[in-house]
This record gives sequence, C-alpha cells and structure tokens, in this order.
Amino acid sequence: MSLQKMTRLRPVRLLSSIHQQQLLLPSTTALSVPRRSVIQGEYRRPGQPRENKLPWQKINFDFSKGLQGIKKHFALLKKEFFDRWVGPQGKPILEHMLEQNRVIWEFRGPECLEQWTLSSDREIGGQSEIYLKLGKNTNTCFLYGTLSSVPPRDGETRYSGYCTMRSKQPLAAFDRKEHYDWTSFNTLHLRVRGDGRPWMINLAAETYFSHQKDDIYSYFLYTRGGPYWQDVKIPFSKFFLTHRGRIQDDQHPVWLDKVNTIGFTLGDKADGPFQLEIDFIGVCKDYAHTEEFAYEVYKRNPEV
Amino acid sequence: MSRYCPCHVIFPSAVLFPDGQCDGSTMKSTRCLLQLQCLRLLGRSGRPAVQHGALLQSASSSQPSVLQNKVLRHFHGSSAFAKNRPVPGQFHEDDKKRDKSLVAHDDLFEQLAKDVKTKATFNKVIEVFTKKDIRRRGHVEFIYAALKKMPEFGVERDLAVYNKLLDVFPKEVFVPRNFIQRMFNHYPRQQECGVQVLEQMENYGIMPNIETKVLLVQIFGEKGHPMRKYQRLMYWFPKFKNVNPFPVPKQLPEDPVDIARFSLTRIANDLDAKVTVYQLPHTDVTESGAEITLPHIVGIQSPSQMELLAKHNPNRPVFVEGPFPLWLRKTCVYYYILRADPTPPEEKVEEPYDPERCLDYPLQLDLDLDRDFGDEESFDVEDLDEGPVFAMCMTSRGDQATLNQWISGLQENNPILGQAPTLFRLDSGPRELQGVADSESSHSHQPHPETQGQEPLSGEEAEVIVEEEPRRSQGMKQ
Repeated sequence: MSLQKMTRLRPVRLLSSIHQQQLLLPSTTALSVPRRSVIQGEYRRPGQPRENKLPWQKINFDFSKGLQGIKKHFALLKKEFFDRWVGPQGKPILEHMLEQNRVIWEFRGPECLEQWTLSSDREIGGQSEIYLKLGKNTNTCFLYGTLSSVPPRDGETRYSGYCTMRSKQPLAAFDRKEHYDWTSFNTLHLRVRGDGRPWMINLAAETYFSHQKDDIYSYFLYTRGGPYWQDVKIPFSKFFLTHRGRIQDDQHPVWLDKVNTIGFTLGDKADGPFQLEIDFIGVCKDYAHTEEFAYEVYKRNPEV
Repeated sequence: MSRYCPCHVIFPSAVLFPDGQCDGSTMKSTRCLLQLQCLRLLGRSGRPAVQHGALLQSASSSQPSVLQNKVLRHFHGSSAFAKNRPVPGQFHEDDKKRDKSLVAHDDLFEQLAKDVKTKATFNKVIEVFTKKDIRRRGHVEFIYAALKKMPEFGVERDLAVYNKLLDVFPKEVFVPRNFIQRMFNHYPRQQECGVQVLEQMENYGIMPNIETKVLLVQIFGEKGHPMRKYQRLMYWFPKFKNVNPFPVPKQLPEDPVDIARFSLTRIANDLDAKVTVYQLPHTDVTESGAEITLPHIVGIQSPSQMELLAKHNPNRPVFVEGPFPLWLRKTCVYYYILRADPTPPEEKVEEPYDPERCLDYPLQLDLDLDRDFGDEESFDVEDLDEGPVFAMCMTSRGDQATLNQWISGLQENNPILGQAPTLFRLDSGPRELQGVADSESSHSHQPHPETQGQEPLSGEEAEVIVEEEPRRSQGMKQ
C-alpha cells in the first residue's frame, strides 16, 4: 500500500468517529443565513459527483414559509431579549445558582424527534441502517436499526460499520448558534435501556480554530440489556478528547460553557440488529464527585 | 534467475519447503551476494567467503539465524558499500521478461497453506519469507498481506504471531542515526507499516508485551511513530480495560444453559435472583418413533418479583412477551419476560403497616440528615411506570409450548399464575416492552380463545389465549 493511499483512508476505527455533517436538506426559508464559505463545504461521499449549483441558486423563495420564519425568529429574538431581565439563561438567579438537576432532552412528543439527526455508514457506502421513533408509551425514544461492518467497495475505506444519533445544534433567533452552558453541573445522567451493546457518548463543544472542528469528547456507554431501565451517570471529568475518532495525546477536560451537541455512536463490530431506548438525558451536580480530570497529561516527548 | 527480486518469482519447489531449508537456487543467489560483500568487507581471501557460502548452503534450520546475525552485522558495518551495489533496474527488466505475471504476496500464503490454515502454517509462511532473502525484499508488502490474511488463519488475537510478524522487519536499518533523520520521518513506509501492525493489534484489543517493545526499539528506534503508537496503547488500554460495569468474558461458555444462566443473572439486576433450569436440552422419542429435540428452558425470578406477582390482581392478565435481544460481545441471545400492565391508580392499594414490625427503627425519617435543605436529587421528569416484570426466561425455541412449560414451572412458586389469564405476545424484530398502548399493526382484532391442541397444563384452570398479534388491551395511556 503506498503512502498516498494511506492518507486517504477513511478514519473509521476502533473509537468510531461521528459523521461530519447532518443529513438534512439545507434550510429553504428566505432568511437562511449563508454559512461561512469554506472550500470543502458539506461532506461529499467519495465517488459522488459534485453539485454545481451556485450559492444564489440554492435559495428558495416561498411567501408562507417566509412569514412563518419571520414569526419564529422574531419570537426567539424577543425571548432572548427579555430573558436577560429575568436572570441568567432565562431563569431567576437564585434558581440558576441552586439548580442541581436539569433535564436537557426528553422525548415527550414527535417534535422532540426533530431535534436529533441520524446517521450511519450508509453515507460512505456501507450497509448499516438506523431509525428513530417514539417509544410505545410516547415518553421515550426508540433507536433501532442494523449494523453491518462490511466496508464499502470504494478502494479506500478499510473499516466500516457505525450508526450514530446526534442532537442538532441549538439555534437562537435568525439561525445563530447557541450553546448549552453546563458550568454549574458536573455529571451527565441518562436513563437508557439498551440491549447489552457498548455505545459511545460524544460531546461536541464550540471551538475556535478550524482544525478543531472535529474535536469530540467521548466516553463509553455500556448497556446492561434486559427489561429494566438503567441509570447511567457519567461525570464530565471522564470524557476524553478525540479528533475524528482518534484519541489524542494532549488531553484536557471538556469545557462546559459552550457545549454544542451530544451524540451516541455504535460501532462495536458486531453485525446485526440493535436497539436503544432513551428516557431522558439530563445533567446534574454531584457534590461527592471532586475529580477534575481523569487522565493525566504526559510529556510530549516521553522517554521510552 | 533474479537476484534482486526473489519475491516476484515463485519457485516450483516453493511448495515443498521442508524444515525451513532454503532452495538451492535462492541460496546460490544470496551466496553470490554474500561472497561479493564478504570479499569487499572482510578483505580476506575467497576461502572464508566460500566457507560462509558453504555453511549457508548446508545450513539446516538450526544454524541460519546465528549466521544471518553475523552476516547482518558485517553487512551493516559500513554504509559506504551500499553505493557499490548494482542498480536494481536492469534486473527488474530481466525479471519482467522472464515471467509476465505479477505475483502478490497473498499467493505465498495461499500456496503454502493450501489445505489447513492454522497458526503453525502461518508461522511457517513467515519463516519462509524470512529465510528467503537476507535483505527481506518486499517485507512491507508481505507484512500488509500477512495482516490481511490473519483472520483467515485464525491468529488475529495471538500476540506471539504479531511479534513474529514484527520480526520480519530487518533490525537496525531503520533506526535514525542523527537528529536530521529523526526529524524527517525516517523510512516512512516502514514506519507506517509498523504502525499498521500495531493498529491491527489495537483493533482486536490485544495488549502488546515487552517483546513487542524490544522489537520496536530494535527496528525503529526509540522515537519513531511505531514506538509512539506502542506508548499510546500502553497508556490507554489499561485505563479502559475495566471500564465496563457489566463485563462479558471473552470466551463465552459453550453450553447454552450456562450462557442462559450468565445472561439472566446479568439482566436480572438483582443479586437475590435465583436461576432455575426447568428443562435441559435433550432429545425425546415420541410414540411414532420420531426424535424431537427439546430445548432448554432457564428462568430467573427474584424474591421482590415474587412479591410483586403475589400482589397482582388475578383478574388482570399477565403477558409473556418476547423475544427481546441481548448482545454479549458478538453473540445475540433472546429472552422472554412475564409482565403485567401497570395497575391503574384506582386499584393501587396502600400497604398497611405491619403491627408486628420492629419498633427499634422508625418507619419514616422526616429529615435526611446528609443532605442540605436545597438539595434535590431527582430529575424533573415524569416517572415511567411500565408495569412490573415478574420473571424472565431464556430458551432456544420460543414457541407457545415451551413458554407454557416455563409458566407451569413458575406456577409452583407463584400459585397466582393459575388464576390470572396469560397472554402471549411473541413477535420478533426490534422489540421494546409493550407499554399500555399497542403496536400499530393490530386493529379490531377479536381474541378467540382457542386451545390449539396443546397439551393441557396440569392444574391450570385459566384460559390460555393464543395470539400472534397484540390485542388492544385496556388502552389506558400512561
């Protein structure tokens, strides 16, 4: 194998990476904010032809949608403006300071499913499938599908077989990025019911430099399986830094002041159907947990 | 005969490599090479060279490594002579003229291990390659081919084989000798190949050992990429080794009853739960002479589940649901559960305090002494009540009859099962516990009680309604 081929390999490895782009169509309202033009843009599956549409051809003018958009965005703007008078993040200051648990995602209705994006290695030509639906008692979400680790035959991908569910970036008025502020918490609390498979939880925080774009903080989610719900508590100090699925040498704890998305990945190389039910995802403050970071940073040039 | 690309030529006698002895023709070519080198380096008469050659010729498997080491050391004594080697280009052309087919290293594996693919044959192939050429021409491609072939031979989880594969690299050649070489990614292809070997070890979760480290130091030096990758493996693997709160052993037991026992204790979530084997797998001969294999039935129930079942209202049905999947590493097993719908609020009974209770401890403590007044540990979500689960079981054949056997076995300890109607909801596919509401597939489905000619269950007076699709039950939303 030549060196050139090596560098073009898809980085899907043991600690599987998260897909890079959302699978949805771009927003078609008149108020869609043009993204910063980067040369790469959306992820292009190897082998697919490039889209030759010029940027202004992608805009779609539609009056009713535009009106809805105006209403929605101005409502958000008003809320954002007036929330500051109530207190930090729209809550009175005493409540914000004493808050110990906060439920971030729960699945009470079909609109909650809109907050999540699904992806699998179908994007790169694999054969895994993933679907999301509301649970039978409409209080939980049911994520299911099939995993297949047969690599796509495009000559450059060596490993395959992953499925992910990732939350969408929260947006403020006019599609501006908003971040979750979890500085007053230190543990992630989930209520799940899996089928014994090991998943990976990925937190993506806001970064500054472009080469930090795929920086994700991950940790394992081991499910027990069985008919009983499983409470999983993972302190944020346990999340380690990965970039495109590869664990990094320079580790630091996740900065909780600007968290963008959370995601769940399955890539355990066991072909077959899988399922995961999530009741809710919340963050809590555990006073008994005093660890700041679980991994020590070793020297850059350690001796052998 | 090509002297410089022996890997591209498959000798007809290649199949019969006995005891690692090399073919005469290869040895002739290497002997010529060695003679040339020895003449130059040692500056002695031709006799020792011939001696060397002769020794090599007659070398049986006992001697070559020692000799090769000696020769290696002379070989790499001075780099000045590397310039004097004739250009391989002309020999390459010769080679092409002679045989037009490009033979890949994979074929070496195929040829040498035609019949049986085991660790021994894999090791033999590596030895063949190692002894074929002192310079290990094409070792990078060979190692890549070997990595790809490892799963076929079944040695992908064997550390000794990886060490042997790393041994294929020539030692001390790729070690950088000064800071410039260290800076500039010395021998990048070989370093990448070393990294790929370690990466395959990482993929299969194999921890390297000290021998790997020694080999890597000898081959690539202490600051190369493979060494860094080794250090990363040695840092992160121990950290994540015991991070699974529900570990599954690497080797699952073969016996299905043992697997069932292990997985049921895993999903029971209760250390008091007791596993009972209702039936072991065996074959029975029926009256007509046909042999039928009966599956195993292993069930589990904990005392708290027994209490819940005892409190269950016998007028309400209990459901046998399944099969639900449970993954243990790479195998998927299925389990069935016995559950009931949650009791509607009007039927919830407050338990009266037991007048015989122990008066040393109060029943309720109004103050939580460890917590502050503002502390609340619970989340602001509604409590999910999906109904109690009374028991779980695992069986290889999940049909009505087997599960009936399980229920009758359970009935010995839980007499209420004799009065409550039991409904079976057995679909396969992505399953979740049926809540109170139903799946979309059932519409107005009339439940017809039919006992489809099954063996009458002794002592059970209840009707057993057979249903393949879930019936619309009381339809109460949670």
